[in-house]
Amino acid sequence: MTAATQLAARHRFQWWELLPWIAGIAVFFAFPNYLAFGTQVLIAILFALSLDLVLGYAGIVTLGHAAFFGAGAYTVGMLAQHLGWNEPLSGLAAAALVAGAIGLASGYVLLRTHGLTLLMLTLCTMALLEEAANMGAAFTGGFDGMPGLKFAPLLGMFPFDLLFFRSQYLYALLVLFICFALVRALVYSPFGQSLTGIRENLLRMHAVGAPVRARLVIAYTISAALAGVAGALFAQTNAFVNLGALGLERAAGVLIILILGGYGRLYGAFVGAIAYLMLEHTLAKAYPTAWQIGLGVTLMAVALYAQNGILGLGDALRRRLGGQRAP
Amino acid sequence: MSATLLETKGLCKSFGALEVARDISFRLDAGARHALIGPNGAGKTTFINLLTGLLQPSRGSVHLRGEDVTSLAQAKRVKRGIARTFQINQLFRGLTVLENVCIAVAERLGAGGSMLRPAGRRTDVIENASHLIGMLKLDEDAGRRVGELPYGRQRLVEIAIALGLNPRVLLLDEPAAGIPSAESHILLDAIATLPKDIAVLIIEHDMDLVFRFAERITVLVSGAIFAEGAPAEIAANAQVRSVYLGNAA
Repeated sequence: MTAATQLAARHRFQWWELLPWIAGIAVFFAFPNYLAFGTQVLIAILFALSLDLVLGYAGIVTLGHAAFFGAGAYTVGMLAQHLGWNEPLSGLAAAALVAGAIGLASGYVLLRTHGLTLLMLTLCTMALLEEAANMGAAFTGGFDGMPGLKFAPLLGMFPFDLLFFRSQYLYALLVLFICFALVRALVYSPFGQSLTGIRENLLRMHAVGAPVRARLVIAYTISAALAGVAGALFAQTNAFVNLGALGLERAAGVLIILILGGYGRLYGAFVGAIAYLMLEHTLAKAYPTAWQIGLGVTLMAVALYAQNGILGLGDALRRRLGGQRAP
Repeated sequence: MSATLLETKGLCKSFGALEVARDISFRLDAGARHALIGPNGAGKTTFINLLTGLLQPSRGSVHLRGEDVTSLAQAKRVKRGIARTFQINQLFRGLTVLENVCIAVAERLGAGGSMLRPAGRRTDVIENASHLIGMLKLDEDAGRRVGELPYGRQRLVEIAIALGLNPRVLLLDEPAAGIPSAESHILLDAIATLPKDIAVLIIEHDMDLVFRFAERITVLVSGAIFAEGAPAEIAANAQVRSVYLGNAA
């Protein structure tokens, strides 16, 4: 097989890529009592996927990605609370637009910097938004947030039920599928290749004439819009939004998910979100007062012994067995 | 008389009190095969950095086909036809040789920002890149990650990337460094196949390669042009021999 056909084959849809979606549908039927948890996992996957686009592919180090998640969540929350705009799909679109606009504006300024400066500035952006949400209580509910949000049935037919998350789960699964298809197309496109180029060697990308900053700002904007969709899904499916949507804990959580699963690999977001939330769920059930210790120890082990995440472990195993590299 | 492609007028660059380029007025004609030589620290790479826009001059100007490009960013100069290689490899080490060259070709064809089609299906980009890979005898390594290749092979990838930009002016910063001498002919063969109107400026310490390649040589010493002329003139210049070539040359 030539290098060209290898490259084309790697970018083609593979049969095994159906498996997560089959598993997602199977969960709906096999675990009807866990659909609320499943919905949170799907939202976490989408959020981590949005982060993977900037961190894993473009190499933009950020600690403030929850700013966009929160922007999306607050957009649908405020639209529903104050304007009575509670149609879910158009709400998602509005959330993507608002979060994308914040991503564009902040990215245009922030992405002039690199490294620790960028890290601090992303953190500051998130803190500013969090404080704005805290102080604008008349619009955002302030510290209490906006509980008891009401959303119209999906497509006018499928109401959101907070006891049985059937509609929410399928809705989140469908939105994740669409967003994933978008991200997949993006990372395998020449644009995605150029992002990888920027991550791998900034100097060389300038020397091949790539408009590096513009590419980074575009990627950051798209990623922000996707994170906004994740935040909007969170607010719609849980019927509330509060400051936690914009906080450092959420930003750090999604970073851990991505590191745990493996960044820059598309499916790392899936593996990381499932592993992290299941671990959190199991440990919290077994040790209600000390579960975070178990989580911390696990994460330390991953950081020390599996620096490319869980998928990286699989990759190493495959290499040892003489297989090819992971997609 | 050939048309001037690239020209510098009174180019100066200082880092504080340290003057690394001093009043360099230099001309590169279409189709030139020009070598820039000089002892270590003479300012050769700095000069290339000034030409490409990686560094901004303290004084003086850079002109490409008569247009003043001094204030243009590096990427815009590349679009106008200036391509370079680096003294120390600057590659996408985690990507394959083919992907490395494809990135450059995609930028040149204006496809680098395309989000619609998978890169693996851009046959125009892939065919172009594959041709260059073949030209530099890298076919066998095309599917391998660049980081896994020996240094000499990586140097050839550097050159393939620069050629992928289809330059009007090609600046090669010590291209043969690290390439086994038995393979340096690949480099010269690749340059020989370039269209005749492309100007090539090479910085090189391998004098054998310089004298085989160059039709004109500029000697840079302490950031200033020390001598310029045909290879025979430079080889016969006693002052050049004493500052650079050594008496044995």
